[in-house]
Formats: sequence, structure tokens, C-alpha cells
Amino acid sequence: MLMTDPTPETPVAPSATDVEHSLYEKRQKIYPREVHGTFAALRTTAVLVLLGLFYGLPWLSWDGRQAVLFDLPARKFYIFGLTFWPQDFLLLTLLMMMGALSLFLFTALAGRVWCGYACPQTVWTEVFLWMERLVEGTRQQQMKLDQSPWSARKLRIKATKQLLWVSFSLWTGFAFVSFFTPATRLGHEVLTLGLGPWETFWILFYGFATYGNAGFMREQVCKYMCPYARFQSAMFDADTLIVSYDRTRGEPRGSRKVGHDPKTRGLGDCINCTMCVQVCPTGIDIRKGLQYECISCSACVDVCNDVMKKMGYAPDLISYTTQNALDGKPTRIVRPRTLIYAAILGVVASLFLYVLASREPLGLDVIRDRNQLFRERAGLIENVYTLKVLNLADHERSFRVSAAGIAGLQLAGVNGPVTVAAGGVQDVPVILRASESALPAPSSNVQFTLEAADDTSVRFTRKAKFLGPR
Amino acid sequence: MLSLFVPTKWMPVPARFGAVLWLSFLLAVVATGVFFSTIDPDVLQPCVPEFPEVSRTAAYTIGFFLFWLLTAASGVLAVAFTYPPASEHAYETPDVDD
Repeated sequence: MLMTDPTPETPVAPSATDVEHSLYEKRQKIYPREVHGTFAALRTTAVLVLLGLFYGLPWLSWDGRQAVLFDLPARKFYIFGLTFWPQDFLLLTLLMMMGALSLFLFTALAGRVWCGYACPQTVWTEVFLWMERLVEGTRQQQMKLDQSPWSARKLRIKATKQLLWVSFSLWTGFAFVSFFTPATRLGHEVLTLGLGPWETFWILFYGFATYGNAGFMREQVCKYMCPYARFQSAMFDADTLIVSYDRTRGEPRGSRKVGHDPKTRGLGDCINCTMCVQVCPTGIDIRKGLQYECISCSACVDVCNDVMKKMGYAPDLISYTTQNALDGKPTRIVRPRTLIYAAILGVVASLFLYVLASREPLGLDVIRDRNQLFRERAGLIENVYTLKVLNLADHERSFRVSAAGIAGLQLAGVNGPVTVAAGGVQDVPVILRASESALPAPSSNVQFTLEAADDTSVRFTRKAKFLGPR
Repeated sequence: MLSLFVPTKWMPVPARFGAVLWLSFLLAVVATGVFFSTIDPDVLQPCVPEFPEVSRTAAYTIGFFLFWLLTAASGVLAVAFTYPPASEHAYETPDVDD
């Protein structure tokens, strides 16, 4: 078997037709070669798990409702047994901070694992590549097809691919919207052509974004649009796992016959088969060193190990390792950088768990009557409010309402406890009365307190303004 | 504003707008999330009587696009101001290709 120098199908030989005028620079279309191996299997698993969750979760039920549903019209988020309200915004903020800090920590430890395995851009691009391979065949077949003039066959193949892509994108849009509108209802609406205008819009918008990003833009998103790609290097150090080519072992590169001892010909282990370039989804040559385009997918590691095996050489000419390991120094996992990231992550995660555990199962919003600031009646100043009483518990509950803050403050409008259904909101119009002489200021603070009738430890206080004459 | 349309080596002109639209999209998503989780559109509506009464979903969508318009406008202006005035380019040959 003779391993030859770069074949004409390597991406280094562009013809005029290859050059596609895309949004960014004159882009050569990248045709990633299919790859098998440890990292490829890992990536396939990640794609199946993540997309399985995305397309499958909306169909999962919990207590007679959709298990994960972001019910924006009702302003409630359901995640399995938990119900979240706008009042729980702090939790969402903490969750996002945990996401960012985890990204920092994992980047410091293992490089761009997010990019290679978990980023929606990678995951959906992978699926679009599968569909492309299914219809258009291998890398060589795809390139031959694109270079051939238009014919009935080419039209048929391209149309089939587009049909697959567009249907998949629409399904993706549907799955996205079904996190917000119950999937069963949305499915029914699609089948009966009864989709609402906003649902239609978001299905098309998300579907179009999927098609555009995964089918058309692909690696350009990572190269030109991704903010993380630009700052991830700040988290890197010599102990971070990176995809790297062992230059000392590989160079000088060159073709040779199997069985020849490269040393007698003054060659290193790299046979210059350019497989690593052909499999790269971002079209780079890892042998030039670490580049910002590298998304750590490790496809080149897999393919190079195959080649090394065929040649009877040791694996890991290209490997997923650290700079220190390459230099023959020990790699430290525990180091100031990872300790600091982990410590901050730990603090935020503890805070998140604390807030989650100490959530009060009730809520109270106070809305002032907008029509008049105050009114005088029988020598007293009156303010009118609407109390929105939220029962965040999973059973019906009665609450007692009280108000305090001004001497001699009277609460009128509520007779006895307010009963609210599980997960429900009850509007309670109330009037506060106080004598003008008791008001400390034209605008005074008062507090409304809500207390569960069956458990006085369940209580919630909300501040409000009581307005009087100046 | 003409300087916005002067090509440079790193990014062709359409890409510049693409970058602005994309990054402002990200920030608009965050802004929409923060805004509407704090403020219920149904409560906001009576404060602005000129605004038509629409469903919450519609309000979220309109709000998102207004935020996107705002963040994109600020992005476009920022990009415009990072380039020298167009007249200075009169002496330069636009450098599009490597």
C-alpha cells in the first residue's frame, strides 16, 4: 500500500466552482470525512442523548401535565415536580451563573469539550452532516456531485437532501415551541391546521435558524460568530487538555511504503495522508499547532490512530493531551485556576440549593389602584390596592391577610381567609385606612403579610406605599 | 455612517452586519428574559394606554423584537464609530482578499 502525497480531493486545491461566496470570507465548502473511533462514538452518544432530550422531553408527562413546560402565557415554569414563578428569577440567574462557571471549569480542565460535544451548533451540524451523507454519499461522492454540472440526477439528490433538512428543521422548530405550548396541544393544532400566529412564527423562526446554522453556516458560526470561541483561550493553560500533534515525533512528514523504517529515510511518523485535515469539521490542519478554529471534536485523533495502526506505528501521533504532557512534564489537575473556578462554582451551587430549598410556597404581589392616589372618607385617608395572592403549594390553601406600618391602620375588603387553588392566583381588592395625623409622610411604607391558615410558619410579607395629602 | 460600508481584510461588509445582528440577538434574549420575568405584560399594558391590548405571548414576541432593534442599533453605531470617517478611506485601496 502506498500512501501518496495530498490527493486532488484535499481542500488545499480549490477550483473556481468550489469557492462559495458566503456571508464571511470567500469560503471553501468543507466536506468532513466520516470518522470512526473512541471520540466519534462519544460524540455520537452526546448527539443522541442531547437531541433525545430536546425532542423527547416535551412528550413526557408528570402529574397529568407536561413534565417540562415553560408556560409563558401563564407565567409558570414546570420542571418535573417543581413549579417556578417569576418570583423565582433569582434561581434562574444562579443557574445561568452555574452554567457559565461550569463552562470555565471544564474549559480549564478539558479544553473545548463544550464545543466538541455539547454545543447545539455542533450537535445539529452533526445531524445535518449525517443526513447529507445519507443522501449524497461519502466525502468524495459529495465533492464529485458538487463539481458536476446540473443534471436530473443532481437535482433529485439535492432536492431530497433539502427536503430532509427542511423537514428536520421544522420538526426542530416544533420541538422548541412545544417547550412553551404543551406538545400534545401543539401537535393537535398542527394536524388540524389550527396553529396560532405566534406559534407559527416561532416554529418557522427556530426552524429557519436551525437550517441556516446547521445546514448552511456550520463551522462559520464557530469561527466568526461565537463569543465563547473568542475568549475560551483565556481559560487555557499548559495543563489544559488540547488536541495536539506531536511535532517532534511526526516531522519531517512524508509518504512511505508500509514496512519501511522511516528513520532510514529521514522521516518522522507522519505519513502526510492528510486524513486529519479531511475529517476536520472546521477545515484546519492540526499539524500547524493549536488554532482558535479547533473545536476539540478529536475527529483527527480518531482517524490518525487508525492510520497509525495500519502503518504499525504507536498511536497518539495526534492526541488529546496537555502541553505539559507533550513536553514530558507532569500534568496537574488540581491547580490554582481549577481550584478557584471550582470554589466559586461551589459557592453559587450551594446558594442555588439553599434558595431552592427555602422557597416559600406562597407569594404576594401588591398593585396600587391606578385611578386615584388616595381618597378621603369619614376623616380617614383611603388607599386602594389589589393583592395578588399566589399559592405555590400543590394543594388548595387558605391565607390570612394583615397590614401594618402606620398607627391605627385599618384593613378593609377582606372578610376571613382567602382560599386559593393549588398553583393558583387570587386577586383580592383591599382598602387601607389611616387617619391623616398618623401618617409619618405623604408617602409612607406599609407591609402586607400573608399567612397560611393551616400553618402559621408559612408567611410572606410585601412592602407597599401608602399615599396621603402633601 | 458611510464608514460602515468600507470593506476590510478581516470581515466583509455583510459579515459586519451579521455579527451585529447575531450578538445583539444574544443580548436581546437576555434582556427579554430579565424584563418579562420581572414585569408582567398584563400589568404593564394599562400603564401605556396607547399600546394595543395583546396576549402575553404576543407581548413577549414584540418585546423581544424591540429589544433586538435596540441592541442592534447600538451595535451598528458602535461598529460605525470604530472605523475612521469614510473620507479617510479615499486614499486607501479596499483590501478584501488575502
